Amino acid sequence: MGVESDDTATRGPLGRLAAALHGPNTMGNSRRFWYLFGVVVLLFVFFPLYMLPSAVTNMSQYLSLVLLALSLAVVWGYTGVLSFGQVAFFGVAGYTYGIVAINVTGPLGTIAGLVVAVGIAALFAAILGYFMFYGGVSDVYVTILTLVVVLVLKTFLDQTAGDEWTIGEAALGGFNGMPGIPDLALGIGEPFLVFNDTVLFYAALLAVLVTYLGLRALLNSDYGRVMVAVREDEDRTEMLGYDVKRVKLTVFTFGGALAGLSGVLYVTYFNYISPSELSLTAASLPVIWVAVGGRKTLLGPIVATIFIERLGLFLSVNVGDWAFVINGLLLLVIVLLLPEGLLPGLRDLVSWIGDRRGDSDTDDTTDPTGEVIE
Amino acid sequence: MAIGLDLLVQFFPNFASIVLAATGLAIIFGIMGVINLAHGEFIMVGAFSTSLAYNGGIPFLPIDALPGLSRLIGAMLFAALVTALFGLLVERTIISGAVPNWISERTLGRPVVTPLYDRLLDSMVATWGLSLIMVQTFRNVFGNSLSGVPIPFGELSYGNSSIGLYQVLLAGVAAFVLIALYLVFVRTDYGMRARATIQNESMAQSLGVNTERTYMATFALGSGLAGLTGALYTPLLSIEPGLGSVFLVDAFVAVVVGGSSVVVGTLLSGGLLGIVDTLFSNVYGTFAGRIALLIVAIVLIRFIPQGLSSLVERLRERRLEVD
Amino acid sequence: MSDTADGMDPAVKQTSAELATGVDTDTILQTEGLTKRFGGLTAIDDVDFGVEAGELRCLIGPNGAGKSTLLNLVTGALSPSEGEVYFEGHEITGLDPHERIRHGLSIKFQVPSVYEDLTVRENVRLPIQRLAAGSERDERMADALSASGLSAKADVTASALSHGEQQQLEIGMAASLDPDLLLLDEPVAGLSVDERTEIADRITQLNAERDIAFVVIEHDTDFVAEIADHITVLHQGETFREGSIEEIEADPEVQRIYLGGETDA
Repeated sequence: MGVESDDTATRGPLGRLAAALHGPNTMGNSRRFWYLFGVVVLLFVFFPLYMLPSAVTNMSQYLSLVLLALSLAVVWGYTGVLSFGQVAFFGVAGYTYGIVAINVTGPLGTIAGLVVAVGIAALFAAILGYFMFYGGVSDVYVTILTLVVVLVLKTFLDQTAGDEWTIGEAALGGFNGMPGIPDLALGIGEPFLVFNDTVLFYAALLAVLVTYLGLRALLNSDYGRVMVAVREDEDRTEMLGYDVKRVKLTVFTFGGALAGLSGVLYVTYFNYISPSELSLTAASLPVIWVAVGGRKTLLGPIVATIFIERLGLFLSVNVGDWAFVINGLLLLVIVLLLPEGLLPGLRDLVSWIGDRRGDSDTDDTTDPTGEVIE
Repeated sequence: MAIGLDLLVQFFPNFASIVLAATGLAIIFGIMGVINLAHGEFIMVGAFSTSLAYNGGIPFLPIDALPGLSRLIGAMLFAALVTALFGLLVERTIISGAVPNWISERTLGRPVVTPLYDRLLDSMVATWGLSLIMVQTFRNVFGNSLSGVPIPFGELSYGNSSIGLYQVLLAGVAAFVLIALYLVFVRTDYGMRARATIQNESMAQSLGVNTERTYMATFALGSGLAGLTGALYTPLLSIEPGLGSVFLVDAFVAVVVGGSSVVVGTLLSGGLLGIVDTLFSNVYGTFAGRIALLIVAIVLIRFIPQGLSSLVERLRERRLEVD
Repeated sequence: MSDTADGMDPAVKQTSAELATGVDTDTILQTEGLTKRFGGLTAIDDVDFGVEAGELRCLIGPNGAGKSTLLNLVTGALSPSEGEVYFEGHEITGLDPHERIRHGLSIKFQVPSVYEDLTVRENVRLPIQRLAAGSERDERMADALSASGLSAKADVTASALSHGEQQQLEIGMAASLDPDLLLLDEPVAGLSVDERTEIADRITQLNAERDIAFVVIEHDTDFVAEIADHITVLHQGETFREGSIEEIEADPEVQRIYLGGETDA
């Protein structure tokens, strides 16, 4: 593994970048991978040129949800904490953005909304995380607690229908939700860039790319290795001198912020939010995306989210009533047959086929023992 | 005094719904280490079966021809049985993977599914998938609602208000179920095997306990109880495919708060959470009652993660120490 | 055990100093009145356990005596019902395990706990990456690998190692933290005679070269005889006897507790 040793002095900037992005914790460490990656990115960049406007706006919605999936992938796949609560941070941020943006008119209001929303989502995650991790709650109960927190929020928001539940100009609206949320926009006084349609698409795409590459760098860094160690064996990691509680809290807070960002982008797309974003079904969607995609990878959840959401749209248009059945079947089959997820399953299949053909050159050529991380 | 009576009377149905919803889930969780997130849908199966049987929707089974109360009871027993059998089917295919493995052994030469026992997170995800399938399938097959069933027994007046006598009686049924479960665990062969398996599965196996059969029976029992709950609540609900989710929440929370002992845990959590819900509902309305219940649950889970039944254990041990 | 400059056995020299002044010199670990109850069971009962800096102490006793529990109380994996733990003079009773590790404590668990799905190299990297960067890190990793005898297997997944190799790996990881006190819970369980000798050599080497104090839980009396400066015998949660290997081996009461008979203690 040439990238492992630290001869950073002898490497140019590109080499250092490669070293930062490569490691045992993410899939795809070969040149072939990056060529493929580049092709895919280009396909996305030129997406609006060859797809219908409706497809573009749909894709920007899916890309926003990818951020939500990644927030769970980081927390679950890389620290071992299964949180059903990512939608709580998503929803809180969405509502907060709505409240701020409706009350503070103009693009500055929307920017402020974005900042405050993500901030509050992170703060909420930090408080909840502190309550759970520093209380010594074990992993299964963390999952249960996050689920109950979502339920509490949903129940609370459902009954905010009355006039007393209005913050400034923004009425929370109970079951019916809060409509009329302005698009995110850049500008002072007069907006010069409004985040809708194509602009939103590129904003979401950029966010996903930056997040993916940033997470790759994080996960392959020293800190990322500690995260994986925490997932694999908390006690051993604590006994190597690492403050496991703080790692979990930090990652959980970060996951909350990322879920919050996802919420803001999503709300900008629909200009509306309601408590249904906090239902049990909604809370399970990130789990489905990440479980199906492969929870110990980053690419898996990205692909799975877009695939499942797009499939859901296709199914509800063509097959209508059976969309959720297919979703459920997918989940069931994946958990029972491919517990590591679709992408690692596919990768294993590819290398199994490669082995069968006596071909040693499968996907990753740099590591003689093959992918370390499943 | 009137308020006290009010609260007491309102407590009974709350207690009943939590306990009845929780026992099936608690048994499966406690003995098999499986969290069945489709539990609400099993309850729904019970309700749907009751409605169909009562209203003559089951071919070859003219339960609707029975007179008076026996028509309702017949429908309910039928529903519990159906749900138990359905649970057996689920256990064999999804939970233990026995059927898929039987097939794959003969085609691929190896098993493909690992049982979900003690795999808490995986069982949650898998049963969640099952739940999605069940809700949507029922919606597609039966539509958005089925005809209901009339509430038996009329009203019970007390002070200035009244409450359905049936709701109050359900508390009695709940208590009866707990007692019956206690007897099953303590007095029957199955109960002993089940308790041995909770304590130490490999030990139980080496002592000759057929853990596979114990698990099958357990899941069927838990499903049957869920079906019974659905059956009992059929007169009180609108029969629609999504009716399970409220029960799931209550059951789930109660099981976690209650801890590993099925009978003691469910009793204590049903009681405590029932009291909280009743108090807050009475003063601030139903929503507040539910929110208070959930918040109290969060606090209890955080500070007593082993559940209320573990407190009872500790008390018992401390008394032993003093002697 | 190497001789000191004036030809005296350092272990004996320490003991003489203790006897002369009645004061513990360089006590690295001391528990006072340490007690741990699990419900109705008292696993550790009012234990005063002390270890000197650089000492190689073996902790023996029948199964269920509480040996692992004692180690867990020292590392902080368990909190005591009563009593205190002191490390290098400071009280550490309230500290989290990772804080105690940073004070200079380290442990190898009873069941070998390496990161099964990571390679040997990645396993070794984890303890070291917190303490060193750049070329120093590479050096320390290489040292840890060669000291464990696993340099050739650096890129092998840890789950593919033999039991003995996993023990070596975990000891190497625990030692790479450069601790002042290293706790080893059954380092040679399930190993062949040759492997046991390797580990015994490793332990005495670390003890002599890096002046690391050890508390080793083991059942193999030959192994214990080979490495121990002093021995503590634990029985039913209490310190039953302490002394040199000769004293312990000669003590009939110790024989009896292993055979399950009644004792007068």
